[in-house]
Amino acid sequence: MSEPLVLLVMVGAFAGLTLRFKLPLGVALALAAAAGALAGGQGLALRHLVEGAFGFFDIILILASAMIFMKVLEESGTLDALAAAILRTFRRSRTGLLLTLMLLMMFPGMITGSSLAAALSTGPIVAPVLLKLGLPRARTAAFVALGAVLGMIAPPVNILVMIMGAGVDMPYVGLTLPLLIISVPVAVFTALWIGRGRMRIPPLDELKTLLPGASPSFKLYLPLLLVPALMILENIHPRGLPGLGLPVIFLAGSLVGAVCGRRFNILKATQRAVEQAMPILSILAGVGMFIQVMTLTGARGWTVLAFLSLPPALLFAGLAVGLPLFGGISAFGSASVLGVPFLLALVNRNALITAAALSALAGLGDLVPPAAMAARFSAQVSGEESLAPVLRACAGPALALLAWSLVVLLASPILERIL
Amino acid sequence: MRLVYHLIVLALAAHTAWYLFREKDFWKQAGAALVLILFLLRLVLVK
Amino acid sequence: MSIRRTSPFILSALTLVVCFFSGREFLAMRAADEIRPGPGLTAARRLSDYFPPLKGTPGDTPVYVFQGPAAGGSVLVVGGTHPNEPAGTIAAVVLAENIRTAKGKVLIIPWANASGFTHSDPQEASPQRYEISTPGGRRSFRLGARVTNPVHQWPDPTIYVNPGGQKLAGIESRNLNRAYPGKPDGSLTERVAFAIMALIKAEGVVLGIDLHESAPEYPVINAIVFHENGADLAATAQMSLQAEGYDFRLEASPPNLRGLSHREWGDAAGIMAVLLETANASHGRLKGRPSAALVVDGQDKFYEKAAKLGRLFVPFGPAGIPLDERVARHLAGVSALLEALAEIAPAKAVSVENIPAAPAVLTQGLGAFLRPPD
Repeated sequence: MSEPLVLLVMVGAFAGLTLRFKLPLGVALALAAAAGALAGGQGLALRHLVEGAFGFFDIILILASAMIFMKVLEESGTLDALAAAILRTFRRSRTGLLLTLMLLMMFPGMITGSSLAAALSTGPIVAPVLLKLGLPRARTAAFVALGAVLGMIAPPVNILVMIMGAGVDMPYVGLTLPLLIISVPVAVFTALWIGRGRMRIPPLDELKTLLPGASPSFKLYLPLLLVPALMILENIHPRGLPGLGLPVIFLAGSLVGAVCGRRFNILKATQRAVEQAMPILSILAGVGMFIQVMTLTGARGWTVLAFLSLPPALLFAGLAVGLPLFGGISAFGSASVLGVPFLLALVNRNALITAAALSALAGLGDLVPPAAMAARFSAQVSGEESLAPVLRACAGPALALLAWSLVVLLASPILERIL
Repeated sequence: MRLVYHLIVLALAAHTAWYLFREKDFWKQAGAALVLILFLLRLVLVK
Repeated sequence: MSIRRTSPFILSALTLVVCFFSGREFLAMRAADEIRPGPGLTAARRLSDYFPPLKGTPGDTPVYVFQGPAAGGSVLVVGGTHPNEPAGTIAAVVLAENIRTAKGKVLIIPWANASGFTHSDPQEASPQRYEISTPGGRRSFRLGARVTNPVHQWPDPTIYVNPGGQKLAGIESRNLNRAYPGKPDGSLTERVAFAIMALIKAEGVVLGIDLHESAPEYPVINAIVFHENGADLAATAQMSLQAEGYDFRLEASPPNLRGLSHREWGDAAGIMAVLLETANASHGRLKGRPSAALVVDGQDKFYEKAAKLGRLFVPFGPAGIPLDERVARHLAGVSALLEALAEIAPAKAVSVENIPAAPAVLTQGLGAFLRPPD
């Protein structure tokens, strides 16, 4: 079977299994991958299915531990306390409040280069604040999701650029300014756009009722301070710590949280966290299988070549569509599979600005189905049951990021001179 | 640090297996099985 | 018992079955490849002989020494820095199975990142092995992953800061060619890099040659990447290669790209350091179905099309770029560099006999220069 046909079988099987038979996404992706391997004449390709899933093993560990951290913060009462404290501090300035929340939202992504780390670590802090301000759940989730994606793109750490850099031997140097140019204007726009309209800041006496019991002790905030502190420490002084990695950082925060706040059953909380994370963990495993079978059957090569075959005039349109679309399977995968060839195709332009813009487009993939990782998690932390309204609420700012990235990409010769 | 990660994977594998047995929906069980494969193979340091 | 009650047991059993069968395939990569060094071999060592803490780790790897009767310099040839770039390993194996040294010393490491040969890169769908026909039967070689096996070096840091201070994506912590000059107490990959530096210093190496391959869409290809210490050497070698009909680009090692062999071997040990690149379709992003045939025959319809679209940095026709041709290029490159060394630093010259000539490799095939299997 030819490569595009195999791809069609895979996409068709996935669509059929999810839409018609309502299978969970992870299982549907795995079955679609197996169907692709069979259609491509590769048999069941068991080794390939498992090996592909391992491509996301590290991310699976991060997600599982971050979910545990989130549950602990929720159970220990830290989240409620912090939400109230933020509301009290910014009672008078709505713009200040929105921009502060956006920065808070982006922060873990900026340090770790992972939108999931952001959605999972400060998402649960920011979401309750926005909800208490009367923002609908879907728009709250969109705020969290876009903050997470923008944080992933913003400097100092952008793993998408690092992945592309590794593919073209471009050192990760001199990217701070291009990445700020891409991320800051869209972040400001997003905060104000999603936070537009009527918003009600609760009066002080009402805030008091939101506080858990007596005034919260400082101890309650310890896990929240510890996690970013370890993230920063690992970033500025990577050789000092024995390479903790995000899973250990999140779990350290969870342990501290378990002893510093309200008492709860840690084993039960961990169980619930794993339970909630399981659908997303299995999506990641399924996505890994899907990508490996795309490679195995030549469908990946066909896809990359199809985009590179576009005439120069359509190349920009191709990357504006292709990067986020492939990012819908995996943003990191998109940066690696499509980002690198696109970066090479645009080799006569400033590589730093180009890579920054391409990373934003690939990062947008975290808002695109089927995986839509950032949006999915944001929906979860905001208590929104279905994904569709969240995606609708994300659409405006996401399109703004898409357009702005393209502007920066097209204007790179001019920007290069200014920078 | 490697030992710590080994323990983390062991704990997650145990939780996942527990989930697999408690969950009622067959397809959700199957999703957990996908993840369990990864945890087990790393646990025995095969992949 | 209802289906609902039994399904967890069925799924658990299925999980174990999948683990067993896929695990068996994964473990098959742990067995080392065979090599039959020729009569010119004077010593078979291990990398751990130069850095004992490496002994017994998955990073330890064979080092073959070819000492000539006359005094001269020492040259190090490294293959398998990236185990998914087979021409480097095979060129090193062909050298080890054929050469005799008349003057000076040649040290050969065919599987520099031994751990990387024990697994495959996820989502690259690479075959685990490929075969080369010799007159006495087929020889099988492992095609590994670009980086160290995560089972041997785990976990990756979020951000990897290499010994040269460069910040890289976490996975690069397992890339041997970002880990130089290594660290004695660092990760496995950094310790391997440190051991290779220790070898370079202990053996008084004057010229280090790191054999690689890159994807046809990558600009640094069919190239000699050189440290400034080896600028004259590289230019001299390039001219003689050009005369033989081999087009090699000269690429200066960028001083701000830290951790690479062509940078740190030169900076930390003061040697002439060069890296050779050939074009390998099997690890590019545009490739069609990955297979052992793609590795060995190097033919791919998508790369052919990409060449027509002007997206590649090497010509790529229906004949592809077979392993024979890629290894021949590396052998021609090594020969030219040795000749250039004799010209530039006669006292440090290394004279090697029996390096298979590139045209002979092309006409007779690689297998003619590999010893038959048992």
